[in-house]
Amino acid sequence: MIRKEYIRSVLNIFASSPFKPLGLHASKAGEAVRKLGESVDAFCNGDMEKVEQLNHEIDVLEHEADVIKQTIRSELSSSIMMPVNASDLLNFLKPQDSISDVAQEVSFWLTLRKFEASEEIRKGLLELMAKTLETVEEYEKLVDTLSELLETSFSKRDVEDSLTLVVEVEEMEHQVDLVEKDLIKKIFMEEESSGGASVYHLVRLAAGIGDIADKAENAADRLRTMIMRR
Amino acid sequence: MVLFDPLLILLVIAGLYMAWNIGANDLANAMGTSVGSGALSIKQVIIIAGTFEFAGAVFFGKRVTSTIAKGIVPIDTISLLDTHLVAIGMLAAVLAAGFWITLATFYNLPVSTTHSIVGAVLGFGLIAAYQGIIAFGEIQWGVLSKIIGSWLVSPLLGALFAFLIFSLIRYSILQKTDDPYMIENRFVILQTMTACYIAFAHGSNDVANAVGPLYAGLHALELAGTTIPLWVMVLGGIGMVFGLATWGYRVIETIGTKITELTPTRGFSAEFATASVVVLHSFSSLPISTTHTLVGSVIGVGLAGGLAAVDLSVIWKIVVSWIVTVPVAALTSALVFLGLMGIGI
Repeated sequence: MIRKEYIRSVLNIFASSPFKPLGLHASKAGEAVRKLGESVDAFCNGDMEKVEQLNHEIDVLEHEADVIKQTIRSELSSSIMMPVNASDLLNFLKPQDSISDVAQEVSFWLTLRKFEASEEIRKGLLELMAKTLETVEEYEKLVDTLSELLETSFSKRDVEDSLTLVVEVEEMEHQVDLVEKDLIKKIFMEEESSGGASVYHLVRLAAGIGDIADKAENAADRLRTMIMRR
Repeated sequence: MVLFDPLLILLVIAGLYMAWNIGANDLANAMGTSVGSGALSIKQVIIIAGTFEFAGAVFFGKRVTSTIAKGIVPIDTISLLDTHLVAIGMLAAVLAAGFWITLATFYNLPVSTTHSIVGAVLGFGLIAAYQGIIAFGEIQWGVLSKIIGSWLVSPLLGALFAFLIFSLIRYSILQKTDDPYMIENRFVILQTMTACYIAFAHGSNDVANAVGPLYAGLHALELAGTTIPLWVMVLGGIGMVFGLATWGYRVIETIGTKITELTPTRGFSAEFATASVVVLHSFSSLPISTTHTLVGSVIGVGLAGGLAAVDLSVIWKIVVSWIVTVPVAALTSALVFLGLMGIGI
């Protein structure tokens, strides 16, 4: 195309910024977790048809996130100069990508079996999901600050704002951990009445949802490394 | 000797073709940065570019034009032997440079019109020396090495200036504000001014690539004295503005959509640095590549942490084109000269 265009430009010195797709990638992860929240709701209400439908939608989101991740990776050749270290950027992209991966996995497990447990466990599961979603949404806010950071080319104040958000994500993830442990304990306490298959299923779900918050915390932590080691 | 000498007419046509190319591509490259940042619309850029390019060419283009015409090859010595030799040699030089630029543009190689014309004029000097018309020592090697040195220095100087300017903006303005987007809005006005500045700078340096050989021919045929006639500079200016109006706008559009990362503060830094370096060289009568200086300036802004992603692989392409252009243009020019002599012009 360029050959026919009779254009002689050296301005391909401007490479495409990886930060915009990074933000888009984070919002895909957030979207997947929001849909997972709806799916957990439907699961607890016994609406398995909706669980199936949401599972399909989460699959699509996870795939879109994968494509964005691949694009970012393929465009970061060694000749690209950025205000941050390229390997730091890739290191933070990885756990961010795991958020939608794990959401997809949990969503699949939701479709396998109906919810058959006590009201207390239902509440526990919903609380765990709500806290995880909060953590991921806080993480989305953190990624949003990247564009402002770039705009002011990392002003001290903006860096501090971002670092505060990292600490908040970490604190929220800790809360998720507590809820998760509590819930798993309760699941085992009811093993007599609910049966082994149900226990395994519910534990798998609780661990998976907790893992999502873990990935968000991990990504936040590496985002801090990226900002600090600039 | 009349002004309607066929040689002169050919020199004017070839010079206009070079001017068209410079306006269509080089000027468009320099102006594309203003469109990319969203500071100016394409229409505004074309009006600014046309006006200031023309002004730069007419009012500040004579020094570099004189260097291309008389600074490298001793045309006065050659014209003592035969006044037509200079006109033929210079015609060969513009044809060779124009041919190389056309080829490079079709293949999107980052070749500089400045490097091409300097190489081509040198080629004429070398073949003249080879044929015993002048001595090898009469070629102005000192001036030539100063020119080639400036090709290395100008992008580096652009990078340094841009780095300093953007760092200053960064520490004194961007990092102290609550609303960086408002700062960007304020820089739109400043960037409009640097767009004028860079067009003026470009005109003052690059017009020489088109009309330097024409002036050499006029001078040798005793149709022009030691000062360059105004109409020559006006001709070059018109040619470049014509190139911008007929093709350059498309190049600007293409570039503008590619470089949305260049916000007004970044664009201002890169343009101000580039224009200053180019004007400095125009003042020192040295022909340099505006586009290569601009690339250096963009890298400078990137080094200061101002850009999300800069692709440094362009540097290698430039270095290669730099090394290839001078010998190729020189050789082509020498061959064209021999060809023109052979068919008895």
